[in-house]
Amino acid sequence: MPGPFPQSHTLRWRAARNFTNWHQTVVQPIAGIYTPHYPPDNPPTSAAVINSCTQDIQQAVKVAKDRRLRLRAVGSGWSLSQAGVTDGIILDTSRLAGWIKVTEGNLDPGYRGSADFRTGLFMFQCGNLIAEVNKLIEGDRFKRSLRTTGAANGQTIVGATATGTHGSALGFGAAHDQIVALHLLAGDQKQYWIERASYPVVKKALADALGAELIRSETLFNAAVMSFGSFGVIHNVVIETRPRFLLLAETLAPVPYDADLRRLIETADVANYPALKDKGRPYFLQIVVNPHGGDAMINVMYEKDWDAAHVPDYRLRAGKVGPGYDALSLIGRFFETNRGAIPPFFKLVGSLVDTRTRTGSWGEIFGYKAPQTKVASGSVAVAMADALRTLDLLDQLNRDIGPVPLVWGLRFVDRSPALLAFNRFERAMVVSLDGVSNSQSERFFRMSADRLEAAGIRYTQHWGKTNAFPPERIRRAYGHDRVDAWLAARHQLLPDAADRAVFTNDYMVRRGLAG
Amino acid sequence: MGARRAMIAAALLATTACAQYLVMAPEPRYSGQPHSKNISSVLYGTGASPHPGVVAAECGADQLAMVRLTRDFGQWFLTTLTLGAYAPATVHYYCARPPQPPGGTIDTGVEIGG
Repeated sequence: MPGPFPQSHTLRWRAARNFTNWHQTVVQPIAGIYTPHYPPDNPPTSAAVINSCTQDIQQAVKVAKDRRLRLRAVGSGWSLSQAGVTDGIILDTSRLAGWIKVTEGNLDPGYRGSADFRTGLFMFQCGNLIAEVNKLIEGDRFKRSLRTTGAANGQTIVGATATGTHGSALGFGAAHDQIVALHLLAGDQKQYWIERASYPVVKKALADALGAELIRSETLFNAAVMSFGSFGVIHNVVIETRPRFLLLAETLAPVPYDADLRRLIETADVANYPALKDKGRPYFLQIVVNPHGGDAMINVMYEKDWDAAHVPDYRLRAGKVGPGYDALSLIGRFFETNRGAIPPFFKLVGSLVDTRTRTGSWGEIFGYKAPQTKVASGSVAVAMADALRTLDLLDQLNRDIGPVPLVWGLRFVDRSPALLAFNRFERAMVVSLDGVSNSQSERFFRMSADRLEAAGIRYTQHWGKTNAFPPERIRRAYGHDRVDAWLAARHQLLPDAADRAVFTNDYMVRRGLAG
Repeated sequence: MGARRAMIAAALLATTACAQYLVMAPEPRYSGQPHSKNISSVLYGTGASPHPGVVAAECGADQLAMVRLTRDFGQWFLTTLTLGAYAPATVHYYCARPPQPPGGTIDTGVEIGG
C-alpha cells in the first residue's frame, strides 16, 4: 500500500475526487492534483529556476509512474473535450509563469528568422496565461504582439497551443504555428529541447543549461507541438512575435445570408463582398451564420499602426444587464422541452450584438470575457473547396433534427506543418458550432461528423472542443503516414512503455492514438 | 401538452441554483480548480457560520480571482421557512495566481541581456 503522496513547499499535493474543466462540460474522476510552484520569492527566470521547476514536475511524474497512475498536465482546463484530462494525477501548471526574452546571444547561427523575429523571440513557461503574454509583450518595454490566438485569453500558452486553438487571422495558421522550439519533459528522467531541423533557433548551450538534450528534427517537432499532453509535459515554448499593432474591429449585423455572403465564405476574400470590398484587406475575418433566421454577422478587423498615445486597458467592465454565469445551463434545459423557442432566442441574441466600432491591441480585442458555464462548442475544419457544401449539409441537418441551439461561426486558418494539426488544409474554413450545451447540441455534434463522412467531405475536428473522432476517421482525416509518424515519434521520445502509460488517457485510447 | 412542457421546464429550472452573484477581479488570473464552501447568515446577520466567514485557506498567501455566491432551491426554502433568520448559501471561488515573475535570461556564453 503506497504511503501518502510526497510533497514539498514547491510541489504541493491536493487529494481531489474530480477535476472539472473551466466550462463545466467535463467532470473527470481523478486521484488528485499536483501543483508545482514557481519559487516563492518570485525571482527572475533563470536556468536554475527552470531546472528547479523541471525537478518538481519530474518528481510528480515519477510518483505517477511508481504508483502506475496516469498523469496529464493541465493549464487552465479550458478544453471542452477530454483531451487534457486523465483518471490519474492532474498536473496543474498554472503557477509556472516564468519567461525570458531570447537574446541575440542565445540564437543559433543557423536561425533563419527575419531580422524582426530576431528581436521578438520569447521563451514562456507552460503556465503563462495568454492574457499575461499579451500584456507583457504589448507594453512599451517590448512593443510586440502575438500573431493569433483564440477569441479568449484564459488559456495557458501551452494549453492553447497543444490542443489546436486558432483564431481567424487571414494568411496565418493557428496559435501553435507561432512556436519554434519546445522544451519537453518526456518522463521522469529525460528532457528534450526540440526544434525543426530546417529551422534551428537557439544554441545548444541553452538546451544544455536546462539539462535537455537538443533534438533538431522536422518529424519530432511537428509531432510533439500538437500532442495535447501525450508526449510528456511541455515545460517551455519559444514563440516568434511580430511588432505590436492595433486592430480596428467592425461588426456588420445583421446581414442577409445571400449569394454575396456565400461568395465571401467560399473565398474568404472581401473583394467579393460589396460592403467590404473597398475597405482594404482585413487582418481578421469571422462570419457567424444564424441557421435559424437566414441572417449572419460579420466581424472584420483591420491592421493599424500602433498609436503612441494608446494605452492598452485589458480590464473587464461591468455592464447594466446581461446573461449570468449559469445562464446557458438554464437555457439549455429549457430548450430540451421547448425547441420552438430556439429560433426566437437566437434572433434576440442577434439583435443584442454590439455593432460599435472598436480599436484596440490584440490582447484587448481578444481579452477577458464574462465567464459562462455549459458552453457548447465543436469545430470542424474543411478545405475551402468544400466550404459551401459543408454549410449546406449542416443547414440540412439542422432542418432534419433541429432546430438545435447552435450557430455556425466561420473562421479561416492556413495550413500548419504539425502532423495532427486541426488546420491541415492549405486554407481551412473552420465551422465552430457554438451555442448552448444540451442533448440536442451533443447529438448535432455527433451527427454532423456522420453526415460529413457520408458526403465524402474530408474534415478534421478541433482536439480541444467536443468531437467524435473514432480511430478510422482520424486516419482518413490525416492519412496513415501522418498518424503513424506521430505514433512513431511518441515511441521515440517515450521509449519506455511505463512512461507512455503515464501520458496516455482514455481520449487517446478511444482515438487509436495510445499505441 | 404545452402546459405540461412548461411545468417540466419550470421543475428543471427549480433544481438548479435559484440565485447567483459573481464578483471578479478586473483582470482575473484564475489558478487551478474552484473551491466551494457552505456559508450561513444566522439571526439576520448577527451570527455567521463559519465565523467570520469563509477563509480561502487553499489560496495560501494569494488573492482571489473570482467569487461566486449561489443559493439553490433548498437554501432558498430554508431561508423562506425561517423568515430569513437562517439564510444558507454556497460560496465558490478561484484563487488568483501570484504575479508573473520578472523576466530573466539564460546565459549561453556570449551575451546577457533582455
